[in-house]
Amino acid sequence: MGGYKHRILEVDLSTGKMDISDVGEDDKRRFLGGSGISAKLFLDRFDIQSNPLSPENPLMIMNGPLTGTNLPGTSRFVVCGKSPLTGIWGESACGGNFGPELKMAGWDGIVFRGASEIPAFLLIEDGRCELHDASDLWGMDIYQVTDFLKASYRDGKQVKVFAIGRAGENLVKFAGIGNDKGHFAGRTGMGALMGSKKLKAIVVRGSGGVEPTLREEYSSLLKALIPKVKASVPAQALREMGTDSGMDLGMMTNDVPIKNWTSTQDFDLSFNLGGPSLTEKYLTKSHSCYACPIGCKRVVKVADGPYKTEEGPGPEYETCCTFGTMIMNKDLAGVIKANDLCNRTGMDTISGGAAIAFAYECYEKGMITGKDTDGLELVWGNIDPALKLIEMISERKGIGSILADGTRAAAAKFGKGAEELVTEVKGLDAPMHDPRGWHGMGLGYAVSTRGACHLQHMTLYVEQGMSAYPETGLETTYKGPQSEGKAGMYLISENFGVPCNSACLCIFVLGCLSAPDFAEMIRVTTGWKDFDIAELLNSGQRINLLKRTINCLLGMKREDDRLPKRILTPLSSEGNVPDINLMLREYYTLRGLDEMGRPKREILEKAGLRELISKLY
Amino acid sequence: MAYRFPSEQWIKEYQRVINSSEDYKKSGATWTAGPVCLVVSANPSVGLDKEIGIWLGLQKGVCEEIKIVTLEEAQKAPFVITGDYARWKQVVLGQLDPIQGMMQGKLKLKGNLPTIVRYVKASQDLVKCASKVDTQFADE
Repeated sequence: MGGYKHRILEVDLSTGKMDISDVGEDDKRRFLGGSGISAKLFLDRFDIQSNPLSPENPLMIMNGPLTGTNLPGTSRFVVCGKSPLTGIWGESACGGNFGPELKMAGWDGIVFRGASEIPAFLLIEDGRCELHDASDLWGMDIYQVTDFLKASYRDGKQVKVFAIGRAGENLVKFAGIGNDKGHFAGRTGMGALMGSKKLKAIVVRGSGGVEPTLREEYSSLLKALIPKVKASVPAQALREMGTDSGMDLGMMTNDVPIKNWTSTQDFDLSFNLGGPSLTEKYLTKSHSCYACPIGCKRVVKVADGPYKTEEGPGPEYETCCTFGTMIMNKDLAGVIKANDLCNRTGMDTISGGAAIAFAYECYEKGMITGKDTDGLELVWGNIDPALKLIEMISERKGIGSILADGTRAAAAKFGKGAEELVTEVKGLDAPMHDPRGWHGMGLGYAVSTRGACHLQHMTLYVEQGMSAYPETGLETTYKGPQSEGKAGMYLISENFGVPCNSACLCIFVLGCLSAPDFAEMIRVTTGWKDFDIAELLNSGQRINLLKRTINCLLGMKREDDRLPKRILTPLSSEGNVPDINLMLREYYTLRGLDEMGRPKREILEKAGLRELISKLY
Repeated sequence: MAYRFPSEQWIKEYQRVINSSEDYKKSGATWTAGPVCLVVSANPSVGLDKEIGIWLGLQKGVCEEIKIVTLEEAQKAPFVITGDYARWKQVVLGQLDPIQGMMQGKLKLKGNLPTIVRYVKASQDLVKCASKVDTQFADE
């Protein structure tokens, strides 16, 4: 069976013992890999009720069958575990080159359990796996430790590094993990989980390859897909302007959150913060993840001024919002500086930026004062205090330590109604797409299995009309501010999008391909000769139900599938909001959930998940 | 009075509507990137034996010139958006957002994408103007 190495490295950080495991062939086909396989392992092998920052909570880094093939968009791998930020299922996908290198070293994934007594890093060179003392590396930022480790193992093929910074070390609950400086597993606090294990970094070098089963068909498919991706307009937009290409159009369609979700259309902001400005003013070059014909990653430099920044990875669209529109800052150089600081400290720019924008509004409303902020004046439009807050959060200093626990916890601490200023679901801050412009996205935020999320489904692409997948039942045009019919659209886009993080395919590349293309990629790689769109969608459903089951066992109920008050408040007298009750009602029926939010017995049975019934009922 | 799309009468009315649009005057105020040409693919069933272009001489929020041109002349514009008759009909009727149309490959763009993206609101306003023209379609 191509696409898999059939070996998972098991590392017990408490004892230093390592072992090799695998999952059965049947489970590979049922859960594909990535977050699907990880969820299965989590439920089967671990105490899911354990504290997220305890040694009992595993840190799982998992490839999918597509990772490391030469097919387009196959750089992806996923980091999973119980989220320190949300307390439920956590996962964060990442691009770059670490996942492919891990597979070339002969591994489908790594499962860490326990916790090291001293800081450690794991070195993998093909079958040679060693834990090393990282005491001297503890305290370094991600750029420093990456450079250090690459220089330390410079002989031979370049190593790939996956590391945490100060935020992860200090257990900031939205800390991420960085691969070679420019690629991050940002969401749900997997960096804090890694930090709790005193694991500073993983260094990998592989000499093998990733062989598909159906080689001739694979070659033909590869030849067909690369020009197809290159020719698509979304790919051209991403190549020329990065993900920030979405800013201008998003402003037009009310997709962009402004002033901590309280204001509407400001074309001055998008003009200054959008992809064209980033390209014209600060881009030095672009680069690609492994096997990507798009190349959306930006390399930028701010040559001078107060936000002077060395040449390095540039901000994504989300970051241009969180440190731009969300705090009314229109200085893109300041956003680049904020992005650089977050990258170095290893902090999710979405949750980090959301926490800071939330603090700005609390300050404006008098819920916190200069006494709370060490004198920082959190005034809309001024990014300087935000830059200081990034440091305070990553070092857990002053108010930074409160914000480091996430917006939900910080709001509870501040009181005075601060809870109403927070835009999160299940503890995960909403990404930078406003459901008041796109109601289907609102349903996605409400029911996604890791909290408010735009990447566990294809709704962003489908609802906004950038891509269409008629073979799945997804139509080509949907009206954004409309709730009727959206549950049906969302369900399919979820079943179709979930396998992205299991088979491990970049969602941006999928946005340029068709549903048959995606199914075919899996078929020719694995050799599952009858794998088709129907099985792809069934896999998505099965994996979604598995993750939902985990969350139910962790206490999630129907009332947790909700939207925050902010999203249910119109932005103007003409504005509308998602009819979340309608969409939830329809979604629950279509997904087969009971009144408590649990998958019904018959749905689990039909999805081939009979083993979950006794756990839930 | 309904104007047949595409025709000399239709484009003149379109120019009039554009130049009386306060929204476009504002959103296109800084546009200096040159003419935009909308190319309608040949379709004999609606009387289009060969491709034609609608040349929009846009400058700082004003449509200074509008004319029907050949495909060869159309290609000289810095921005050329091409689609078949049915697609343009959807655009004129306000049923297809031109930016989404380009993203989905229903309309083809030749020209600098960042510039088009930066002026997304202006493009929307131009479409709104088109939808305000009382239009008669050849296939109706």
